[in-house]
Amino acid sequence: MSFSVIIQQLINGVTLGGMYALIALGYTLVYGILLMINFAHSEMFMTGAYVGLGVLLLLTDKGVIAKVSKAMPFLSFLEASRTFFTSSAFGLIVLFLIVFLVAMTATGLLGMFIERVAYRPLRNAPRLAPLISAIGVSIFLQNAALLWIDSRAIPYPAVFPIKKLFSIGGANVNSLQALIISTSIILLLILDTFVSRTKVGKAMRATSQDSEAAGLMGIDINYVIAIAFFIGPAFGAVAGIFSGMYYGTVIFSMGFIPGMKAFTAAVLGGIGNLRGAMLGGFLLGIVESLGAGFLSTGYKDVIAFGILILVLIFRPGGLLGESVVEKV
Amino acid sequence: MKVRNKLLLVVLAALLAVSVVATGCKAKPGNGGEEITATETTVVRIGVGAPLTQGAVAIGQGLKRGAQLAVEDENASSQAEKLGIKFELVDGDDQGDPQTGTNVANMFASDTSLVGVMGHFNSGVSIPASKVYNENNILMISPGSTNPELTKQGLKNVFRVCATDDVQGPAGAESAFNKFGYKKAVVVDDSTPYGEGLAAEFAKKFEELGGQILFKEKTSDKDTDFNALVTKITSQKPDMIFYGGMYNAGALLAKQATDAGFTGPTMGGDGISYTDWITLQGGKTAEGDLSTSVGLPVSELPKAAEFQSKYAEKFPSEEIGNFDAYGYDATYVIINAVYKVAEDLGVKELTSPAGRDALIEAVKATDLSGVTGKLGFDEKGDTSNQAITTYQVENGEWVPKVIPGKD
Repeated sequence: MSFSVIIQQLINGVTLGGMYALIALGYTLVYGILLMINFAHSEMFMTGAYVGLGVLLLLTDKGVIAKVSKAMPFLSFLEASRTFFTSSAFGLIVLFLIVFLVAMTATGLLGMFIERVAYRPLRNAPRLAPLISAIGVSIFLQNAALLWIDSRAIPYPAVFPIKKLFSIGGANVNSLQALIISTSIILLLILDTFVSRTKVGKAMRATSQDSEAAGLMGIDINYVIAIAFFIGPAFGAVAGIFSGMYYGTVIFSMGFIPGMKAFTAAVLGGIGNLRGAMLGGFLLGIVESLGAGFLSTGYKDVIAFGILILVLIFRPGGLLGESVVEKV
Repeated sequence: MKVRNKLLLVVLAALLAVSVVATGCKAKPGNGGEEITATETTVVRIGVGAPLTQGAVAIGQGLKRGAQLAVEDENASSQAEKLGIKFELVDGDDQGDPQTGTNVANMFASDTSLVGVMGHFNSGVSIPASKVYNENNILMISPGSTNPELTKQGLKNVFRVCATDDVQGPAGAESAFNKFGYKKAVVVDDSTPYGEGLAAEFAKKFEELGGQILFKEKTSDKDTDFNALVTKITSQKPDMIFYGGMYNAGALLAKQATDAGFTGPTMGGDGISYTDWITLQGGKTAEGDLSTSVGLPVSELPKAAEFQSKYAEKFPSEEIGNFDAYGYDATYVIINAVYKVAEDLGVKELTSPAGRDALIEAVKATDLSGVTGKLGFDEKGDTSNQAITTYQVENGEWVPKVIPGKD
């Protein structure tokens, strides 16, 4: 195994890890505040990918534009904007900003809606009730995508050019990997700053420490929870679009495995802890890539979950989690 | 609370009104009258066991369309009319999953008006399901399970109309080595009975011919991230990748390999020989990829032109896949056995124990000319038509490159 192969596997791992970290944040944010595992979160990842796909097709696919402007003539400007989006680098940046913003907003709003209808009524119910409700929402969303969109995998339009960008130590980084790694790190930094520096972030931390006391101090808990349910899915949506672009396809069941992995990452890093989720995500991605590269693809999950078990034996709270779990 | 209840009531009333209107609309035209004909018709049901919502859905839905055409053709035939038989299909969505497949098999087994099953597709599903059918003495004809183990079990009720992997794998290796000149290959499979079997048969023959297998790797049929594997592959510089598995996971591997700068082709068996293999890769990266598939290309078959035109008429928005004609033929074999038994023993006996035995005997003696060529079975239940064609992607389409008997 040469040095360049190790570097290449690390790059693969960091790219994968970036996506895991973006999803893991959603689990950890919600757990931190509500002590609940939002199993519907993997479907936020899927929804984001589908919304992103829809926007991409609407803005760049000739056939779709022709169909849409035939049905709704006032949308015929799409054909003109298509050339702008696809012809220059600047257009491409604008295009992806739109795609990401629309998908993040739509998925974020869906997240808030789900919280409102499926979790808030159960907030004072026994712990298991919202968990089951979350599983129900997950199954509902998956089947909705299956029935209303397509049961087959749909190809993601290759609008973003995948080119070799630069090499480090003989390993190549392509443009998409660079985009995924840089965007996820930037988003994670933004969130970290948001939670640690802003007033809303402070309210979130207060609510996660003790929601009742925070409420007594005048913090609107419902607002804080809604924010958490917006940010988590919005970040999941980014990961979903990246996954669609990186692997080239989306399918209704695409959320399940990454969702499980991201949940694992959140536990590995210490669930409830934001930086832990980020660390866990990157760590899991790297371990998986190295495991698949140097042992066997069939063993990658065995290795990843083996490490999880080891970590939990020696640090039950996760890598960065606090050891005091008991809440009185 | 009261306001809410009232709101609910209004919504319910509205729903009721809509549903009444909707069903009312359907009931009006005189379609309902066709059941009441002069003589009594017996409904004979045939199960369609295929991945319809999950797994290789493109193939499963294609198989179902093939079966639909066969049933429609035969329902319009004079023979069905004379015997007073009306064929109907029952969907059994196995999701390409062995457990779900077994549930489907049990569901079929409990249906007393069912004469046989056209299915299943994935070998991993067909093998466990075949045991259920065997216990219940139900005829099973697989349109596309190519793992040799299926018929090696010695179950007398199990047949298939497609060639097997111990023919397909070696044929693929020969094409790759002799025709295309690839000497070094990496073999990957998806850990399903189909993928493992095909990959093993390919590797064996490829080495026998003098080729070199750099390494073999197992993946899962649900994997999406193959980048780590791709890095491992490209670092060893093979001429080609052989993938034993289905198009949905395999296309991701092939795309990631091309994105990472691998210039050789990815080759697979009948499980990837589908348009979705090309579209899922976004078109360009699939160029040059190879696949083998069972039987001769549609263009080489005498009865295929008729099938194609009927298909285009009935399903204008769908493209014919490699297996759709096998779905047709498997159903056609079942239907012909039904005719024979109905003539010999009478329509009433079709689903009795004696009738079920007779159906199996009738299939054994099949000698028909189907869309895919001659239909007949050896003593194991395998088709006597063992031709394998090699295809290559050219300008976004699978083009037959090595056609048996034509080289």
